[in-house]
Amino acid sequence: MFDAQSFLHALPLLLRAAQMTVFVSAVGLLIGFLIAVAVVSACLSPRPPMRRLGNLYTFVFRGVPLLVQLMLAYYFLPTLGINVSPDVAAIAAVSLCEGAYLGEILRGGFLGIPRGQIEATQMLGISRFATLVHIEIPQALKLTAPSLVNEMILLVKASSLISVVGVAEITRTAQNIAASTFRPLEAYVAAGLMYMAVNGILSVLGHYAERHFERA
Amino acid sequence: MRMTRTFKWLLASTCLAAASFTLPAQADQLADVHKAGELVIGTEMQFAPFDFLKDGKQEGFNKEFFAKVGKALGVKIRFIDLPWASVLPGLDANKFDFVAGPLNVTKARKERYHFTLPIADGTVALLKSAKNTAFTKPEDIAGKVIGSQRGSAQLDQTKTYANSLKPAPEVREYVDFNQAYADLANGRIFAVGNSITNIAVVAKERPDTFAVIQPSIGKKVYFAFMGHKGANSDSLIKAIDDVILTMHKDGRLAALQKKWFGMEMDVPTADFVPNV
Amino acid sequence: MTASLSLIQQYGPQVLSGFGITIVSWLGAVVLGMALGFLIAVLQLFAGRWVRTVLRIYIEVLRTTPFLVQLFILYYGGPNFGLSLQALDAGIIALAIYGSAYFAEVFRSGFTSVPRGHLEAAQCLGMSRLTTIWRVQLPQMLVIITPSLVNLIIILSKETSVLSIVTVPELTAILTQIGSEQFIYVQTMLILSVCYLLLVGVTQKLGSWAEARASRFLQH
Repeated sequence: MFDAQSFLHALPLLLRAAQMTVFVSAVGLLIGFLIAVAVVSACLSPRPPMRRLGNLYTFVFRGVPLLVQLMLAYYFLPTLGINVSPDVAAIAAVSLCEGAYLGEILRGGFLGIPRGQIEATQMLGISRFATLVHIEIPQALKLTAPSLVNEMILLVKASSLISVVGVAEITRTAQNIAASTFRPLEAYVAAGLMYMAVNGILSVLGHYAERHFERA
Repeated sequence: MRMTRTFKWLLASTCLAAASFTLPAQADQLADVHKAGELVIGTEMQFAPFDFLKDGKQEGFNKEFFAKVGKALGVKIRFIDLPWASVLPGLDANKFDFVAGPLNVTKARKERYHFTLPIADGTVALLKSAKNTAFTKPEDIAGKVIGSQRGSAQLDQTKTYANSLKPAPEVREYVDFNQAYADLANGRIFAVGNSITNIAVVAKERPDTFAVIQPSIGKKVYFAFMGHKGANSDSLIKAIDDVILTMHKDGRLAALQKKWFGMEMDVPTADFVPNV
Repeated sequence: MTASLSLIQQYGPQVLSGFGITIVSWLGAVVLGMALGFLIAVLQLFAGRWVRTVLRIYIEVLRTTPFLVQLFILYYGGPNFGLSLQALDAGIIALAIYGSAYFAEVFRSGFTSVPRGHLEAAQCLGMSRLTTIWRVQLPQMLVIITPSLVNLIIILSKETSVLSIVTVPELTAILTQIGSEQFIYVQTMLILSVCYLLLVGVTQKLGSWAEARASRFLQH
């Protein structure tokens, strides 16, 4: 029913694959964060066309399934002259998607900053960009830190789909193991446990981050 | 005023996108490969005996064949493992220089891509569960559920055959053949339609689980490798064809076939019109 | 233009059938998942420590592992235990189980948002546990949790695309195959995206209507 040996053999291979999973998720989160800042600025902009653009971006990238976004990034980007390896296409798609979700989270953070501070910077003649970098982003980060950790966990899970563009992360590696050992149950249960381990570590890191931000 | 600005911006970016659709292929592909020092090949590693993974490493006919091509051309070979549905789009998107597979040579594909000379027989037949003793001829699949791989020529031929039966069997589309074989083994489907070269090997390695049903269900087709169509790629394809012809003459191709397929195969050594 | 028309003629029925399967698997999973999630939330309220611990583990496992992996375990691992489900059944059940973990959390937060005073009053009035849930907690909960429920329903609609990986002939599967057959990969992916956007857009609109109705008695 359950072959413990294949299960144990799968674990080291999956551990190596987990590095790719964490890498893609981390980079996706980082770039996604930068995109999210741009999206939030657009959504909260005083100019209607910018707001429309921001809302359109959020609608599209949260409305299309990640699986389809991955396939599109892979097939479509090259027609725009952007020719990248599967890994980069995966990170690009994941970042663009994350940008939309993080944008919504950051929006809550940005809206939570007292307007008085923004008005003060305007009076002092500080540029919009400097305000963004020095005043708004740090405070938004503090306010939304727990949600950001949550997003990272969601991202790690979503990364299971990048197997569609062939990246050798946990799920694809498990598929390969299942194919060569003819024991799919053991391979996928091992994969599940690997994801739980990664996300467990992330949760713990998240708790530390929360407490760190609260102290500051 | 603002509307016009947004509109202009949208117009500009659309023009840019449209312009990039017409980006022409650059210089001669063979020259590019020599300059880069490597030939990048897209394939799917779930296609024994051509491409499969053993302990996480690539094994199979393709690896050995292209090692010989690499030596003849003086370049390194790098394989990219992708799900099958991403392989042809990947070639279109220039994510790699060449496709291994191999693929069935079909008329539709010949219009869009450039095949090498064939290297194996790709005729489609049915694989069954060895426990299924009532299943002895292809017609027995009438009204049953069978499977093949989404986006493959084998699926097309399986479907064509299925539609000729009454009642027509239901054809399920799997992401790769290994998953189809898994469902055949656990009894979810009645048969898998794939090229005889592949299923013969699967049946040989697991004779208590699988068996091949004769005769084949499709017209005679051949397996070949594939690259871009166009003058830029002709030299690369010709270089690989030259290697194939050399391997015909000195018997290395026959030796590879015997090693990986269990028998030598007769394949055309010049251009031909496909049956499908 | 005529090429497109003939393609629509040739593949139209298949695409519609694929869309139908997407809707069926989505709604099936939503109904089953919500019912299961609600049951779990209610159990967490009333059950003893061991049951609560088991349920906690159930929820955490389902929320920290990817849906694709859960689906593979059910579909390809099931036969090890004699459970050989057909693709669509496995898809709906797996999606429902996945959703139930999230629905359970939403219902749980809904239950805890109802003031204790109301529960005590209901007890004083001699209402049974079930009556309390049905007449006191649920109506008040719905106001607060409807947005989260709508959000989950939308998330599940997008997850149905994952079912294509285990042969369920839903929209993603159909359009991917058409793309391969006709060599129009990019176009079919774009059409697929538009289909999901339509689905999500319509659901969001319905969701806003539901939220408005749920909070119609609120005096703000």
